[in-house]
Amino acid sequence: MPAKRALMMHPDDNVATAVEEIQPGDDVAIPVVGAVRALRATEPIPFGFKIALQDIPRGEIIRKYGETIGKASLAIAKGALVHIHNLEGTRARGDLAKGGKP
Amino acid sequence: MSFLGYVRSDGSVGTRNYVLVIPQGIIAKSICDFVAGTKSILTVDHGSGRTANDREQIARLLIGLGRNPNVASAIVHAASPGVGYPELRAERLADEIAASGKRVEVLDPAKDGGTYGAMVRGIQLARMMVHEASKVRRERVGDEHLCLGVKCGYSDTTSGIAGNPAVGYLYDKIVAAGGTALFGETTEIIGAEQALARRAATPEIAGTILQAVAVQEERAKATGLDIRTVNPVPSNIKGGISSLEEKSLGAIHKAGTAPIQGVLKYAERPARKGLYFVDNWMGHLSIFAGYAAAGANVVLFQLGGGGVAGRTLLEGSPSVVAPFVWATANPKTYAAATDSIDFYSGTVIEGSETPEEAGERLYRTVTDIASGTLSRSETLHYTEPIDMYLQEPRF
Repeated sequence: MPAKRALMMHPDDNVATAVEEIQPGDDVAIPVVGAVRALRATEPIPFGFKIALQDIPRGEIIRKYGETIGKASLAIAKGALVHIHNLEGTRARGDLAKGGKP
Repeated sequence: MSFLGYVRSDGSVGTRNYVLVIPQGIIAKSICDFVAGTKSILTVDHGSGRTANDREQIARLLIGLGRNPNVASAIVHAASPGVGYPELRAERLADEIAASGKRVEVLDPAKDGGTYGAMVRGIQLARMMVHEASKVRRERVGDEHLCLGVKCGYSDTTSGIAGNPAVGYLYDKIVAAGGTALFGETTEIIGAEQALARRAATPEIAGTILQAVAVQEERAKATGLDIRTVNPVPSNIKGGISSLEEKSLGAIHKAGTAPIQGVLKYAERPARKGLYFVDNWMGHLSIFAGYAAAGANVVLFQLGGGGVAGRTLLEGSPSVVAPFVWATANPKTYAAATDSIDFYSGTVIEGSETPEEAGERLYRTVTDIASGTLSRSETLHYTEPIDMYLQEPRF
């Protein structure tokens, strides 16, 4: 079966965006300049959702478009889905301003 | 690099040719129901109990709509509950619109034989004004006369990858041609403000962008909430966006790459041409009327997921006198509402077009609509009310 496609928006990113429906065990191909980066999905990655390109420890910055889109609220394994269950925003966090834990 | 437009006496160029009747009310409604070629507005607020700042904001919206190049002439009536405030007096609104060289007529029930008398006089005037406007012919003019306004909404990850980049290409092209392009949505640049500040034409403008974000972020924090319970909105999260920062970083692609020439208030007219950031709110019932009041002669809604499953009709948003263009890069949204959508750039995701090719096609779509082709939403007789962007408390 041909590899499923995901897009990296910037070379510094540690996530890529699925542009096909990806199933667990699917090979995923990510075109980068002059090559194709490959990995295997460990979870379903719906169209438009993000896949981890590497192991991301808890607390580590998650990058897309070459910029910070949040940080890992849990350890994320390479090939896993990255979304609100394991990524938290760092901006406009009124809940933290009130004495919550960063 | 041109379109067919209506050249106005102040040198601006319209893409449409309306007689505008403001503010809303039964007089405006009766004129517009009776006379073809007229436009009015629908709001839930006339300024009563509003502070001076907010009343001035309302005045700026009304005057700006009147001055929009898509307006040939205007009728202002003195029958709104807000008209007792100095900012909203009909004569003041009329004078400032007329300063652009347009014909402006004032209706006053106290002088025109009451409400019925003002309606009849308004209908008679509007018929003559529409007829007069119809004698103006479109002329071929350069793209420096385009003024665009954009919002992205129901954003999903197609917005940042393929939807907004096509708009960004269009924005760069129009700005390079000497035109004007407006973008905004202050909450949706939180997390992307440094990237925008680096593009500011001067350090002062960079400071103003950062300040607008700081004010908005403090307001958000003051709620005590995680912004993610408010924005990104549920449809964004369902579409794959995981944080406000991610939404913002995708959203700014619609602004292209040109230097930012200034920060404008809601409904504020830019002093010169070029790319401007507008310190406004994302609501579609608010933002497009503000762009039209700032002088936009075409506005675009870059749509992501469509928000609601089974949404097969996209009804447009109140942009009053500016033709409203729907664009999407989401193949499911496009398949569901093909006959509502003016432009599709999911081709970039599918690999059949580059963002530049899609942007070039969007340019042709926009200049066709500017030249008189109806946008899909213009084929509907439907207008939602304007939710004016007013920030101060009411008393």
